[in-house]
Amino acid sequence: MLPAVELRGIVKRFANVLANDHASLSVLPGEVHALLGENGAGKSTLMQVLYGSYHADGGEILLDGSPVHFANQRAAIHAGIGMIHQDFMLVRPFTVAENVVLGLDGELQLYEEKRGILDLAGASRRIEELSTHHGLQVDAGARIEHLPVGVQQRVEILKLLYRNARILILDEPTAVLTPQETAKLLETLRSLAAEGRSIIIVTHKLHEIIEVADRVTIMRDGKTVATVAKEDTTEAELARLMVGRDVLLRVRKSPLKRGATLLTTQGLKVNDDRGEEAVSGIDLSVNAGEIVGIAGVDGNGQSQLVEALAGLRPVMGGQISMEGTDITHGTPACRKACGIAYVPADRRGVGSVGTLSIEDNSVLCNLGAFTGKFGVFRDRARSRSHARDLVARFGVKAPDIRFPAGKLSGGNLQKMILGREIMQQPKLLIVEQPTRGLDVGAIEGVWAELLKVRDSGQGILLVSAELEEIRNLADRILVIFEGRFMGELRPEDADDETIGLMMAGRSGKTRTMTHV
Amino acid sequence: MFDDFAFSAFVVTWLAAGIRLAGPLLLAALGEIYAERSGVLNVGIEGTILLGALGAYLVTYATGSPWLGVFGAVAAGVISNLFLAWMYVTVMANQVVVGVVFNIFALGLASYFYRIVLGTSGNPELIPMIGSISIPGLSDLPILGPILFSQSALFYVSIVIVLIAEFVLLRTRFGLNVRAVGENPRAAANAGISVVGIRYICVLLSGAGAGAAGGYLVLAQIGLFRDTMVVGQGFIALAIVIFGRWRPIYAALAAFAFGATDALQLSLQLFSFDVAPQLLLSLPYVFTVIAVSGLIGKTAQPAALMEPYRDR
Ligand SMILES: Nc1ncnc2c1ncn2[C@@H]1O[C@H](COP(=O)(O)OP(=O)(O)O)[C@@H](O)[C@H]1O
Ligand SMILES: [Mg+2]
Repeated sequence: MLPAVELRGIVKRFANVLANDHASLSVLPGEVHALLGENGAGKSTLMQVLYGSYHADGGEILLDGSPVHFANQRAAIHAGIGMIHQDFMLVRPFTVAENVVLGLDGELQLYEEKRGILDLAGASRRIEELSTHHGLQVDAGARIEHLPVGVQQRVEILKLLYRNARILILDEPTAVLTPQETAKLLETLRSLAAEGRSIIIVTHKLHEIIEVADRVTIMRDGKTVATVAKEDTTEAELARLMVGRDVLLRVRKSPLKRGATLLTTQGLKVNDDRGEEAVSGIDLSVNAGEIVGIAGVDGNGQSQLVEALAGLRPVMGGQISMEGTDITHGTPACRKACGIAYVPADRRGVGSVGTLSIEDNSVLCNLGAFTGKFGVFRDRARSRSHARDLVARFGVKAPDIRFPAGKLSGGNLQKMILGREIMQQPKLLIVEQPTRGLDVGAIEGVWAELLKVRDSGQGILLVSAELEEIRNLADRILVIFEGRFMGELRPEDADDETIGLMMAGRSGKTRTMTHV
Repeated sequence: MFDDFAFSAFVVTWLAAGIRLAGPLLLAALGEIYAERSGVLNVGIEGTILLGALGAYLVTYATGSPWLGVFGAVAAGVISNLFLAWMYVTVMANQVVVGVVFNIFALGLASYFYRIVLGTSGNPELIPMIGSISIPGLSDLPILGPILFSQSALFYVSIVIVLIAEFVLLRTRFGLNVRAVGENPRAAANAGISVVGIRYICVLLSGAGAGAAGGYLVLAQIGLFRDTMVVGQGFIALAIVIFGRWRPIYAALAAFAFGATDALQLSLQLFSFDVAPQLLLSLPYVFTVIAVSGLIGKTAQPAALMEPYRDR
């Protein structure tokens, strides 16, 4: 069978990274093809070359066997390609219908429109037909900003179906979904493939591939290293191809030794940037020696909660205390003084100063301890040896400590930030998405460090969207949905179904846990 | 203090003058709405108004036809804004800096050209203006007649343009593209819209609006050109866009409010009132400062305003 789309030897270089290094991919009509690879492997770049967002520096694209060249996204859309990006491409104040018909003018026009006057009523009708046909419920008149992410994704899919795209690219579509929503999505993809469309699903989650894909192409360091049929492979083999070595993501946890209560909040309320309530009355406590995990789909208030705890966001109601001291309205410096350290999800924007060296970054939040003469001048000797310690102990790969932090890879930057905070010996460590974007090797390292912190009797509050991470590390799991905790689970009770329902807003059968 | 007749005479002169003064503000604000809706803050409209006024004056002076003068004003606005569009969209320079520098440059350019063409004789020559039209029947209405229906022909044209601008922005393909580009340029590009193309068109539209505003000043209000004639009207138009929440119809209302505030000072002097004229004179500028200081309107602002868009 002639492939519906074929990429041959695609090369794409950014300033100093070779994002695609002679990558090739071939997808048959009616096939669900998975593109598997770790973060940074070059999957998104390859897909954006296919979608016309980037011009390749080399290689060619063939549709149904004939070479094509896309000057921009419009040309790709015209050729029947549709793409759903990792971060959705929807105009938030627009309605569903406005988003769906966006850009469909000129040669992309599908339905009669008089003199460029919008026919939103007609479009809504067609959207409703499509959504019934494909079981993708949406209200065509609703504004995107009022829709939950799961529904926004349906809008993205409908957008492609409305254009009658025959090649559908989905870049990490399940990152923002609950397990149930994911299952529903995979089912939809299968039925679209059954209509003869080609589906490319980009992911780094192995079990999804096993569930949905016909064939898998694996990318590593910008290269496509193999294409295998699902029947002929195993999760273990896929993992090995993806990482380039055997992986064993298992952690050994010592028994829990819960100490005194450190951090507590009562009825905590916090707003988001738009002034709407993001955290709606949260009661939380973290003790010494335990890891408390907060699980939830991104955007359910966990970032705002953590920022409020770190003193980066004003508290609108309720109380935060640390070892009995009220710190509700304290500054970040005051929290630090109480023994709270914070590792933010945004490593480059909040966690580090990219243009400063590793040395400067490693003492950044603790300058007082590295001040020498007259309390004015910096004690360079000490900060240098501190930075060297940090780099050695946490395995930060960098040419030297004068190397700018902004040029470190995601994993190494994370190790540097984590190391900096851990070396201050905080009583409580708040970590947010600590392994997002890291490769498997780096994840192992970060997990081990976090467990060491726990075992030395410090408390950890861990916020993560990765269920595996929460299950492996946490001693207690709290599930957050729309700014509220839906319940508390023990890691051994947190199977996909239970936790998934809670992530979708149904309160779990909360088991009250006896605190020691 | 007033008898009935004097009071109604006061109201009529005041509001009629308010509407007359609102015209240029309105045209400049309409163009600016398109630029800002596409994500470009065009501060250069102040200077563009002046160039438009010069264009209107010179063309009318040369041809004797004020309607050709309007054409000259629009052309001057569009051509000068081609440079601004290039700076904003292609070069991706800081929009405020470019706009402010352009305003200074336009001031120099306008006085230079004016001197070259007309010499330094001092007394500027009056040119023919666009007359007022009394709409038969309606202009005889008490009070409303003289306020609304005996205005310059340009005023009626402007009102029609408001309605067209509102319709195009909210109901057409082009308007949808403009709004998408100003809210989320990456999403627009991924839907197949040319962000650069839309932004160029919108900056040129704002050039056309500001140029026409300058033409309005010369051809419907004053009848001559001076390089000091614009005095902040472009900045007031920026404020009107904010008060009008980036919608043409609301901006028209805001423009009339500003025009009326401006006219109040003239009318009160006419009726020898006991308020310091300086105080009233400053009112539109006070409102402008309030508007652009960001105290109001943040929520309706296009999300990608002043965000340059890098293609790939
Ligand atoms: N616009 C860009 N500019 C510079 N570097 C980029 C850009 N986009 C991606 N990269 C780099 O290219 C590599 C591949 O990125 P990407 O395609 O996003 O990987 P993946 O989608 O597999 O996680 C990464 O090292 C990333 O940092
Ligand atoms: Mg990606």
